[in-house]
Amino acid sequence: MDLLESLRMAWRTIRGHRLRSTLTTLGVVIGIGAVITFVTLGASLQGAIVSDVAAGSSNDVAGGSPEMTVVSQLQSAAGGPGEGGGGPAVFTEHDIRQLQQTEGVEAVVPAGTVSLSGVTYSGQSIAKSTMTATTPAYFSQAGAGNFSVGGPFSPGEREVVLNGAAATIFDQNVSVGDSITVTRSSGTTINATVAGILGGNSGSSSEFGSSDDSPPPEIYGPTDPFHETRLISPATGENQRVYSQLTVVAVDHDQVDQVATRVTDYFTADSDAQGLLSSSYEVSVQTVDASVKQMQSLVNTFTSFVTGIAVISLIVGAIGIANIMLVSVTERTREIGIMKAVGFQNRDILQLFLVEAVILGLFGSVFGIFLGVLAGYGATMFLTLPFVFPIEWAGIAVAVGVLVGVIAGLYPAWNGARIDPIEALRYA
Amino acid sequence: MSVNERTNQTAVAVQDARKTYQVGEPVHALDGVSLALKRGSYTAVMGPSGSGKSTLMNLIGCLDTPTEGRVIINGEDVNQPSSLDTPTEGRVIAHGKDVTQLSSRERTRLRGSEIGFVFQTFNLMPRLTAQENIVQPMVAQSVSRSERDERAKQLLERVGLGDRADHRPNELSGGQRQRVSIARALANDPALILADEPTGNLDSETGASIMELFSELHEAGNTILMVTHERDIAEHADTIIHLRDGVIEREETVDAPVRPTVGGDP
Repeated sequence: MDLLESLRMAWRTIRGHRLRSTLTTLGVVIGIGAVITFVTLGASLQGAIVSDVAAGSSNDVAGGSPEMTVVSQLQSAAGGPGEGGGGPAVFTEHDIRQLQQTEGVEAVVPAGTVSLSGVTYSGQSIAKSTMTATTPAYFSQAGAGNFSVGGPFSPGEREVVLNGAAATIFDQNVSVGDSITVTRSSGTTINATVAGILGGNSGSSSEFGSSDDSPPPEIYGPTDPFHETRLISPATGENQRVYSQLTVVAVDHDQVDQVATRVTDYFTADSDAQGLLSSSYEVSVQTVDASVKQMQSLVNTFTSFVTGIAVISLIVGAIGIANIMLVSVTERTREIGIMKAVGFQNRDILQLFLVEAVILGLFGSVFGIFLGVLAGYGATMFLTLPFVFPIEWAGIAVAVGVLVGVIAGLYPAWNGARIDPIEALRYA
Repeated sequence: MSVNERTNQTAVAVQDARKTYQVGEPVHALDGVSLALKRGSYTAVMGPSGSGKSTLMNLIGCLDTPTEGRVIINGEDVNQPSSLDTPTEGRVIAHGKDVTQLSSRERTRLRGSEIGFVFQTFNLMPRLTAQENIVQPMVAQSVSRSERDERAKQLLERVGLGDRADHRPNELSGGQRQRVSIARALANDPALILADEPTGNLDSETGASIMELFSELHEAGNTILMVTHERDIAEHADTIIHLRDGVIEREETVDAPVRPTVGGDP
């Protein structure tokens, strides 16, 4: 008997038991649907992270970012992405000069945190605990965002740059050229001119929140005069400014890994940072690629965990198919006897039941994919993530559906094929 | 008997067939039965229950194999490896192939192509239409779709159900169902039609019309073996074989077989 004939006969049987077939298929639909939902969600989450980073480094040609972040962190800390640092400020101006002379380094951008008590604009004061002290090069790096008005501050000048949120935080919107007053936590005040305002959708702290339209307000100022944290550089003996975070830019993306190695080597050898750090801290060099990979692997772990749970329901679905096929074989004992009497071979019977099980599995997977994509789409809409459907998973789901059918159908089909026609014809 | 004679004249030969079941102590369902059915013959098997009728049917129908002895269908030996026969002695060559030792698969193929079953309880596939039922043996033999549909239509006409092709068994009367099952038995133009109490589930009038159809088939040259326990049904055949306790008690030639309203000479 050829396959087409088996297909026609199996299809006839499945249609003959519509409700039963639907219920049997439901197990696989739910299993595959759950897997596809979580895989879609994971892929969309990853897509969001990647597009976030890619958007941030739009000033680079495609192919990745040449930047890496250098922070000090606790040795035990599993290196999360360097946002916010966390460790003490230990990177001296000497370190920065040394790094700038390292082969393959285009620029080194320091970023330090300045403690504030508040900011005042046109008579209105608001509480603000920190601002970032850095160099103009900061604004050309990934994730800093683009200027909507004005430009970067000049080093050594009393100028600041605000992000969109900071510019609109006051009753009266701040515009370029206005003067604002920054009050340090020590109480001293600095009057500064606003040199530029960054686009609304900016801010380096929006790893997940590309859709979150309200990034926290940020104020940026030049290291001189804003940055005041100073330590004695062990190498030079001078009292120098120290920063909690450096951004090292390689000359191009291809060299970022080599440069990262050299930077790491510098800090493990004799750097000021090494001398200033207590033994429980270490210097961490994190390339953008590496942080993206880290995020991705985090998402992957989450996805495979949830998918693992979803696979259990797939197994339950497979057992459902096996169960119903066993019932079906018993029910059709007499028919099997007739078929054998009129010349059908054991393997014809085997094939017939296998095809039936595979059709059930296949239908389960197709409807499961449909359901999964729908649920995944709904979930990404709810979480306001960009919808990404990993198309290869549709293929995998179909293959799994077929496999479930084969595995679940094999034993019942074999049982049916073994039926003795004499016994079967006597079977009422 | 030479191979040629066998293939030319004998549709089925049973040689000293024994069937022993081990149910606690051995039970001899068949205890040395030999018979030969000539092509075109019409034979009935009679006997009380437990006489071995069903076992003989199963052996001839290639559903079962004898414990000892041989069954030869259309020149092919149905035996599985026999403990008695030595291969040199019992070798039968048909279609250039040694079939003394048929595998289960070959036996099934032989059954499909050379035996047409007609059962007391019709045994039609309940979800299939009359035509689909008739087509089944041809599907098993991988006959092309157009060919088998063509043949199914012819057979439906032949058994007088040309207008019932798309009816399911539950939409047909008992007599019509048995006609469908006879048409199915004829599908692959078998060497033997094996009918097991074909009128057992029918009223006498319907039964008579079915017997009429069998007579027609006999006239057309089909070989028929019919198991029955009704004398007047058995008398339609040329020969009646009386079976008792697993052996042939006697073989009776019917002087004037009943030939109900069939055209042509008796």
